[in-house]
Amino acid sequence: MRSTRRIPLYAGLIALTAVFVIPLVWMVLTSVKTYTVAQQSPPTWLPDPFSTYGYGRLVTAGSQNPVLRWFLNSMLAATFHAALVLVTASMAAYALARMRFRGRRLMFAVIVATLFVPPATLIIPNFLIVDKFGWLDTLAVVVVPGAASAFGVFFLRQFFLTLPRELEEAAVLDGANQWQIFLRVVLPLSRPALATLAVLTFLTNWNDFLWPIYTLFSGDRLTLPAGLGLLQGEYVTDYPVIMAGAVLASVPAIVLFVFAQRYIIEGVSRSGLKG
Amino acid sequence: MTSNHGDMSRRHLLGLGLGVGAAATLGLAGCGGGSDSKGSTASGNGGKDYTGPKVDLKLWNGFTGGDGDIFKKLVDQFNSEHNNIAVTVATYQWDDYYAKLPGAVSSGNGPDIAVMHMDMLATFAARKVIQPLDDVAGALGLTENDFAPTVWKGGIYQDKRYGIPLDMHPVGFYYNKTLMQKAGLDPSKPPQSRADLEAALAALKKAGIQGFWISPFQFTGGMTGYSLVYQFGGSLYNDDATKATFNEDPAVEAVSWLTKLVADGHSPKNVGQDADYLALKSGKNAFNVNGIWQINDLKKSAGLEWGVAPVPQIGQKKAVWANSHNFTIVQQRRADANKVGGSKVFINWLSQHSLDWAAGGQVPARKSVREDSKFAALTDVNTLAAELPDAAFPPALPGIGDVTTLFYTAFNEAVLGKKTPKQALDDGVAKANKLLEDNRKKYGS
Amino acid sequence: MAAPVVAERTEAGVARGDASAPASRVMHGRATPYLFLLPYLAIFTVFGLLPVALGVWISLHQWDFQLPNTPFVGVDNYKELFSSDSLVFSDWWQSIRATAIFTVASVPLLVVLPLGIALMLHRRFPGRTFFRAVFFAPYVLGVAVIGLLWRFLLDANLGFVNFVLGAVGLPQHTAWVTSTPWAWVSLVGVTVWWTSGFNAVIYLAGLQDIPAELYEAATMDGATAWDKFRHVTLPGLRPVLLFVITTTILASANMFGQSYLITQGAPGTETRTVVAYIVALGIGQNDAGRAAAMSITLTIMLIIVSLANFRLFRYRED
Repeated sequence: MRSTRRIPLYAGLIALTAVFVIPLVWMVLTSVKTYTVAQQSPPTWLPDPFSTYGYGRLVTAGSQNPVLRWFLNSMLAATFHAALVLVTASMAAYALARMRFRGRRLMFAVIVATLFVPPATLIIPNFLIVDKFGWLDTLAVVVVPGAASAFGVFFLRQFFLTLPRELEEAAVLDGANQWQIFLRVVLPLSRPALATLAVLTFLTNWNDFLWPIYTLFSGDRLTLPAGLGLLQGEYVTDYPVIMAGAVLASVPAIVLFVFAQRYIIEGVSRSGLKG
Repeated sequence: MTSNHGDMSRRHLLGLGLGVGAAATLGLAGCGGGSDSKGSTASGNGGKDYTGPKVDLKLWNGFTGGDGDIFKKLVDQFNSEHNNIAVTVATYQWDDYYAKLPGAVSSGNGPDIAVMHMDMLATFAARKVIQPLDDVAGALGLTENDFAPTVWKGGIYQDKRYGIPLDMHPVGFYYNKTLMQKAGLDPSKPPQSRADLEAALAALKKAGIQGFWISPFQFTGGMTGYSLVYQFGGSLYNDDATKATFNEDPAVEAVSWLTKLVADGHSPKNVGQDADYLALKSGKNAFNVNGIWQINDLKKSAGLEWGVAPVPQIGQKKAVWANSHNFTIVQQRRADANKVGGSKVFINWLSQHSLDWAAGGQVPARKSVREDSKFAALTDVNTLAAELPDAAFPPALPGIGDVTTLFYTAFNEAVLGKKTPKQALDDGVAKANKLLEDNRKKYGS
Repeated sequence: MAAPVVAERTEAGVARGDASAPASRVMHGRATPYLFLLPYLAIFTVFGLLPVALGVWISLHQWDFQLPNTPFVGVDNYKELFSSDSLVFSDWWQSIRATAIFTVASVPLLVVLPLGIALMLHRRFPGRTFFRAVFFAPYVLGVAVIGLLWRFLLDANLGFVNFVLGAVGLPQHTAWVTSTPWAWVSLVGVTVWWTSGFNAVIYLAGLQDIPAELYEAATMDGATAWDKFRHVTLPGLRPVLLFVITTTILASANMFGQSYLITQGAPGTETRTVVAYIVALGIGQNDAGRAAAMSITLTIMLIIVSLANFRLFRYRED
């Protein structure tokens, strides 16, 4: 059955891939064009001549524009943020999915309700709050505030609900308490969901630009999106530099995604019901 | 401002303000150096020199990219010449800059000196983000004669001076020499009058070239429209900016002249953001009204034959959109007179040394700099310096930028053919008047 | 035959954690749930609930960040949204219309296409990881780059898209970003390109959780691929599907960057979405009071829409 399916599968995949990939290829090619060629009309495909102008600007940006430092700041912020989300959201989602207590439905409803508030409008209130905490211009300000992710709780709760209860019930019979069940049964089974949430949360923080504008001031505290903007002229759109910056910014996320794939591929069938 | 009536009353008040301010600070200076008058804001005698303890000053600007490098070199030079003042520069993109500044200032993270556009002065002054610096101008003896009248007057809000102008950046008329030659036009004689321009466009059309792409967006079609409204004798607002007037006949005529260019085929429809400028560089567009800042950008385009001239006079008078960078001193939670003193020295010094800044593609506001022979050597920028008296700045009113945006939206709708110019401008004015009233209530003017 | 298989699967569905199953035999202390929730709730209260409460408070005032005077105006900011001669009435409703058009056009595509992609990528075949990365890659880019990239590619006169169309003989002057309805096509198209990977990855994780045994049992019963999809995949994905639909509706209703950067709201302000308008008002014009009132109103509208969505799924709680 599989071999006859494969041809339409590959055909479909390749067609879709072309649509998805062509703009990205154009982006990478533009990052190695010269400034003038990148703006040409009709637009060119191949970089002719090949130029390191775009990447050069990133590397030689100098002490006033510490690109490496910005990159590091973004890495630290996104990693800590994702870790914080995973820890807090998984515990909360487990309680909401599996435990019975007063106010469970109300609490879940309130948490999900905050998802409906446009995030951009919480910037000013949150600014006032982090100012009181003295967190402005520090790493904490780009790690903690968004970490109470309603998205994460909602997401993991739905996943926990799809897990077969037999495994947890078996663990109870073995004498495990709630915490042990959570750690040793539920979490390992949820690797796909956790890995997915980790990648998505990392990316959301990595690409966030509105909040860091308001809360980070020092040149060496900026995150990558804000910092890369400084390499632009005031009124000029420097395509090679922008695209080079975008390629640079993509690398960690793609690496993370490929790495996380191994966890997403595992499923219940591998570790679960056989036991 | 654009009307004589406004000019006269402003000039009168300005004279009075300067007189009072100058006398006061000169008096203080006479009292002995001013190095330990920590409590008073008029310390440091307005910027002539600073003799207090070492201060570290933070300066914010929006000069990203190449402009920023030039500015920083100037700052470095200042720092090396003043061993008791050290200025560090932080740069952000302009949109981010204006968004960050209020929050930063209110939380104590703001700078000491802020460079900002002239049309933002009133808004930040009303918000008490920046403080008046009449005494700087007064003690330095700076008057309108040291600058250009238009830029000098633009720094006033509610009869107090909030900005010392650094430069002016108008729009200019860029032309592609190769395309002009193709149409049989003389590339050393860009059109400067309505008749010449219309004739040139006709010649270009005959050669199959769409000669004057009109962008519907603020940068720079909207600015072209803005300039033309004033050229045709109209204005965006009435004298005291209580009403929007950009739907009156001159304005409608101006916008219609531009939309007609699209209808007549001198511009394609649906010109995208920056497409008009990119088309000029690619040899598809012959004329483009764009900012003076593009001069340095065009110099990077090897093989492109281009020139720049003042914006042609299409209406009955000359007028161009322009803006200006101004130095301001930021309001602090806790006033530090030494820092304020140091800031004033810096502002004065940089204003006098702004020739290097001109290399970044700005017209220096300081007259002495413009009269320097080295400035004349910067031919392109110098060409547009001629537009200084014709600059049509918006009125100094808090929140005026938001109202002007409504004009740009109306312009957008007209050029894209969504509404007729009259209809678009009428709708825009209706909204603008409501917003003006709302602003009045909010800022209490 | 299909019948016994269906019954078995339904039962499996029940046992799988639908909370209406017979009471869990797992015992826990009364404090345990709260302990599990504590870390989350600590952050949530300070940075989730408090800002929302502050936002409501701000919405009852004429609130400018820096002005000393912030007069209380009660529900005036809300009333303005519904009175036709107010300053913001026409802009507000125009932005609601823009958002509604975009949401209705984009959500079906964003729910269905990624599911198809996920189903394709769920099987084992060589190159699977590569293709997964390909579909996810656009989402790795931030909205600023996306906006700039597509604004350039979609330019009516200088852009790549029209250039290619012209080369193959199709109309080459379509104003993809400055005229409607093409601007809508562009915005939806770019969004689908950009965020399909996001939903696809979520579906993939969900598909992993459906035990292979269920599919094997179905195959043994002679089920076709469509049967398997309808009776194994969809039920197994149900909680995830609800999640994806809800969050996709929310994401589309909150669309801001694409409208702001690609079309810039053009023509005029026709493609300016609600959040783009709220940001322009609250952050650009510092009119936080009105912006907050609009946000709360939008939130209520979205809750109503989503409640209808939940009902549609007839999602049973205990």
